[in-house]
Amino acid sequence: MEEQNKSEWNLVLPILALVSFLFVVLRMNPDSFGFDASTSSFLIVAVPLVVFPAILIIGQVYKGKDLWKHQLKEGGIIALAALAITLALTIWLIVEFFAHHAHFDEQGTIFDWITFDILLEDKALTESVFSFGIWIDSVSLTVLFVAAFLCFLICWFAIGYMNTDPINEDRNHRFFAEFLLFSMGMFGMVLADSFLWLFIFWEIMGLCSYLLIGFYWEKPSAAAAAKKAFLTTRVGDVFLMIGLFMLYDLYHSLEFAVIFGDPTLGGAVHGVDLQWPLFFMFIGCVGKSAQFPLHVWLPDAMEGPTPVSALIHAATMVNAGLYLVARMFPLFSEHHFEGDLSDLAMLIVWIGGITACMAAFIAFVANDIKRVLAYSTMSQLAYIFTGLGAACWFANEGYHHLATVAFGAALFHLFNHAMAKGMLFMASGSVIHEMHHAHDHVHLYDDDDDHDFDPQDMRNMGGLASKLPVTSTAMMLGSMSIIGIPLIGGFWSKEGIIGQAWNVYLHGGEMILFPALLVLATAGMTGFYMSRMWFMTFAGKPKTEAAKHVHEDTPWIKTPLVTLSLVTAFGGILLAMYGFQHFLGEDPDTAHLSSHGLLYTLRHAFLPEEMTLKLVGWTAILLSAGLGPFIAARMHGGRLDDGENATPMVAWLVDLSGSVGRTDVGELAEGGFAQALHNRLYIDDFYEYLIAKTILPLAKISAWIDKNWVDGVIKGIESGSQSTSTWLRQFTTGRASDYLLMAAVGMLAIVGILWGVV
Amino acid sequence: MNLGTLFSGPDMATILMPEWILLLGIVAMILVPNLGNATFRLPIPGTSIRIPYLIGGKRFSVTGDPRVPAAIAAFTLFASFITALLSQILDSGVGMAEACVTMNGLVQDCTSDGTHILRVDAFSRLMEMIFTGALLLALIANWDRLPATPHHRIPLKPEEDEIKETRRLFRLLNNRRQVDFALLVLMVALGMCTVALSTNLFILFVGLELASMASYVLIAFNKETQAGPEAGVKYFIVGSVASAIGLYGISMLYIWNGDLAIYGSGGLAAKWAAEGPNGLATIGLGMMLVAFGFKVSAVPFHFAAPDAYSGASGPVAGVLATASKAMGFVALMRVLIGITLADDGSDWTILIGAIAAITMTWGNIAALGSRNPKRMLAYSSVAHAGYILAGIAAIGALGPGDGSQLIATAIMFHLAVLVTFKLGAFLVIALLECEGRGYELEHYHGLARRDPLIAISMLIFMLALAGVPPLAGFLSKLMMVSGIISSTVGDVSGSSLSEAMGSLSWVFWLAILIFINSAISLFYYLRICVVMFYDEPDRNLRLSRAPMLRIAIMLCTMGAVVFGFGVLADVLASAAADAATALFS
Repeated sequence: MEEQNKSEWNLVLPILALVSFLFVVLRMNPDSFGFDASTSSFLIVAVPLVVFPAILIIGQVYKGKDLWKHQLKEGGIIALAALAITLALTIWLIVEFFAHHAHFDEQGTIFDWITFDILLEDKALTESVFSFGIWIDSVSLTVLFVAAFLCFLICWFAIGYMNTDPINEDRNHRFFAEFLLFSMGMFGMVLADSFLWLFIFWEIMGLCSYLLIGFYWEKPSAAAAAKKAFLTTRVGDVFLMIGLFMLYDLYHSLEFAVIFGDPTLGGAVHGVDLQWPLFFMFIGCVGKSAQFPLHVWLPDAMEGPTPVSALIHAATMVNAGLYLVARMFPLFSEHHFEGDLSDLAMLIVWIGGITACMAAFIAFVANDIKRVLAYSTMSQLAYIFTGLGAACWFANEGYHHLATVAFGAALFHLFNHAMAKGMLFMASGSVIHEMHHAHDHVHLYDDDDDHDFDPQDMRNMGGLASKLPVTSTAMMLGSMSIIGIPLIGGFWSKEGIIGQAWNVYLHGGEMILFPALLVLATAGMTGFYMSRMWFMTFAGKPKTEAAKHVHEDTPWIKTPLVTLSLVTAFGGILLAMYGFQHFLGEDPDTAHLSSHGLLYTLRHAFLPEEMTLKLVGWTAILLSAGLGPFIAARMHGGRLDDGENATPMVAWLVDLSGSVGRTDVGELAEGGFAQALHNRLYIDDFYEYLIAKTILPLAKISAWIDKNWVDGVIKGIESGSQSTSTWLRQFTTGRASDYLLMAAVGMLAIVGILWGVV
Repeated sequence: MNLGTLFSGPDMATILMPEWILLLGIVAMILVPNLGNATFRLPIPGTSIRIPYLIGGKRFSVTGDPRVPAAIAAFTLFASFITALLSQILDSGVGMAEACVTMNGLVQDCTSDGTHILRVDAFSRLMEMIFTGALLLALIANWDRLPATPHHRIPLKPEEDEIKETRRLFRLLNNRRQVDFALLVLMVALGMCTVALSTNLFILFVGLELASMASYVLIAFNKETQAGPEAGVKYFIVGSVASAIGLYGISMLYIWNGDLAIYGSGGLAAKWAAEGPNGLATIGLGMMLVAFGFKVSAVPFHFAAPDAYSGASGPVAGVLATASKAMGFVALMRVLIGITLADDGSDWTILIGAIAAITMTWGNIAALGSRNPKRMLAYSSVAHAGYILAGIAAIGALGPGDGSQLIATAIMFHLAVLVTFKLGAFLVIALLECEGRGYELEHYHGLARRDPLIAISMLIFMLALAGVPPLAGFLSKLMMVSGIISSTVGDVSGSSLSEAMGSLSWVFWLAILIFINSAISLFYYLRICVVMFYDEPDRNLRLSRAPMLRIAIMLCTMGAVVFGFGVLADVLASAAADAATALFS
């Protein structure tokens, strides 16, 4: 075990040293290299793009070789190095961004991709260029950092998780290559300076998620899940594409510089024109970020390897939809469009509220540890959507300061949630991994009842707090952040979102009352289901033999967990202190806010000026930090086995859960509503029914037409042309004299025709 | 002309640098492999003083190496290519530096009056690059394994006695034949470059014949096989008759004008524009079309082409289908565009249009049924000639102008990128010929299983030939078709659709025919891809190693990709646009 742990570092340290060396060198004298942070930012996309085929090809050739397998971890080290470089570049970019804010206003075009003439209404040919460029502002930098940081850590985790599983042997290079391409898609999407490239990278991510979810393609459920994810997001993407077409029709360009530079296009574009394009684009976001009603793919996506779940849920894909909504924000805040788009903003809030509550309900009964997290993700993303919707509503109604606050809160929650959820998925991966190993260990010699065991089922766990000290601590911190325990991570942003949602109500948006109530209730539900997950997994007595024999000894897994634990625990408060929310909202008062310090932040969070908001804030805290965990502890908590000692970090929680008494909810769990929740509120069934009733008959009809009419025509043409071909090739006799005869005939014909016409 | 005036100024040496290099390469090719330790004994009795004179005797180990000729030729072609490229890059900054060479070997400005025989401009430079590039690739492909024969194979032993094997190979690869091959390739290059430069029909004909004669021998080079010499002789017979007819046509033009220069005050173009052709000139033009039509393998002069392609080794067939065909089009464009293109279109267009339509359709339909991939590619090459002829017909119908330049740009671009994917496809066939196969569709079954990289290259070539979007072939076809359509649709008038359709120029329908033919051609291109990827291989041996041939294939693959959607597509397109401008100036 010691040796394994050493091997984690003897390769990583040189990489980190290299990266930091590069970083220092570039930092010290960038001019001598001819590029600075903003011009070199395209490398963030280029490096993974170049490295991923290398891993694929080298892996295909050298798989099974010792050096490749053990030293390079089947390409994992190469991917990690590439991601380390992107992370270093990202950090450099952020540092430079703070240092020379003004310098970044104009982003250059990297290259022109397609140039063509288009015919406008006035019949003038206008040259239109689709070019690729980099767009950097505080929003893109935030999401870029989240993606780069988490991709790096998840890759690190994946080296431990994937490479110790014999089932992945000799095909991990495929995983790492796809992983890298996926990261590339996210980086590119965030940095793109036009909706066209945003869409292209968006689709690259869609493809990669399909490939990664279906990584275990030999498992029918994984293949089906991959297909489901791909097709469901495709529904959204088609709408997104329609939205982009409409946007292009309005602006004759998809570049941010054109669209955000002058959203009215000199008065030619009106707010009402934008309603439908933005609505369709929002449907795309709904699909990508797994919101109601296009959420069905996400729980099934858990079929992929755990690092993939972390990647999709925390770092990359689901954030894409949020990012696109954030990108639309300037259109909402354009004062010429005032009032025209507030209905759409309200729709965003409604979708957010409904999804938040629905997902939280389903998470109540989920027993698969990763599915709990998946539903939690949906619910938290819905919070962010609510916040963004509130921000858009404020902006469109002219409350620009409040819009800034809400926007900042939403993106801050994106940051907090991504960090916490990335860590939670990795921690759950650690649990699953160790359960799996323990199960293999226990049942080494008997072949019975092997196949029914599900290492992801929480009903098989329990009492793991003493066996998995690092994991349990990490998971506790992550859950606290998601729940919104005061002072930790997500608390800061969640309070802001709930508060701003209610603030919309106070400013005349009566329609928001229902979603605002829903998100408030969801705060308490979050407290319940996250605590339930933790207690079921780590507290109480072990429920199976395997759970008794778990050890935490896989290398490469702990480091990212510890890193993210620190970020989750302290990142929120630190960033809140330094006015991160306001930086995100591009508030002009950033400089002042950052100097207010901790006290201001605390007062701002706990004691808003308005009485209703104060009430709402304290209700949310009470529900999420008090009631929800309390009920969960009563239902699922309990002390460990005698002689087992949890690490002090979590021991207090285990003891607490053991001392709150017991409640049996067996009756409730059998009830009709619980059954409905188990079946995910029948939404999936409804879709299947719908497809069976509408699409399938259509498909059958078109298949029939294809088979009998289209193919018939094609076959007719084919056989006809084949016989013509045979006839034509008869002229090629192989005798030179025949050829000369033909040439003579041709010459006579040519001369004759020329004689005739000239 | 004496040697003094040849190098009288620096101009002559620099502007014709690619040709001088080729000439020097030919001289070196004759000398270097013959260097040996031969001596001459002084005829003085009682002494045995020997004076070495180096030509002959036992070859030195350096000069006797069988790879020397190929190395010399490759270096020559590469240097020639680079020179043309550099002069293109260096000169294209401010307009296009043009220079003309007179009959007396003087370098002049092209606008000055005088009888010019050679002309250096963007057009000729681009064509030189196409020719030398294609020949260079073919030569590299032949590097390790002459003879590359359709039915002959160098047996390869297992890898362990590699040194022994190398020695055996050296014995097999006869030095003399290497020299012959490389020399012929260089002569083809020189002839083609001459055609690219010439603005005088006589010089053009001499260059054409130099290239053709050498290529006839190249086709028949594999004398051990039955197919090779037969194909070569057939191609020679038909080709020489076509050349004779062309020469006859040139002589008629000479009688008509008294001068064979194309440009200039006394040139053919001036006379054609001023007086219009009489019967003699018309017949002369028609006869020249026969000669050039044979070179580009237009129907009905294409019949020898499938035989020649299938008889020749893969790389040589590739050269025939790319460089040799480009040479034919250079000649065709010089004559048709240079001489006869009056302001408002010319009368031969309907003829060329008809030939184009027949050629592309015939080529595609004949290719549909071919089971021999080489013959299939030959017919596809006929079809491609049809596409280009359609472009030329459109130029003729439109007359000089932006639209015509656009189409000419597309033609140049097509000729250039054809080198990557058509030659590449022939090189893949050459790789299969190394194991004595490749002439049946069955030999391609499961190629992807045996050698995925080569199969993917072939897939790219086939898709590019068919003109599937991201690849080079698509771009050229798109430029051609959009050029034709945009310049014909501009004149459309009429209130209703039927009226508008009625007023369309007939050239429009050529573009539609190109579409239809592209659709047909997909069938046979994709058939190869399908059998490569989905059928079971009938043998599981690895393909021959032939590293240089593989390098050539990879170069072609990269070319097909980067000229399609890479950055270089733009560079090449602008070079082609420069060339088109130069052609019309």
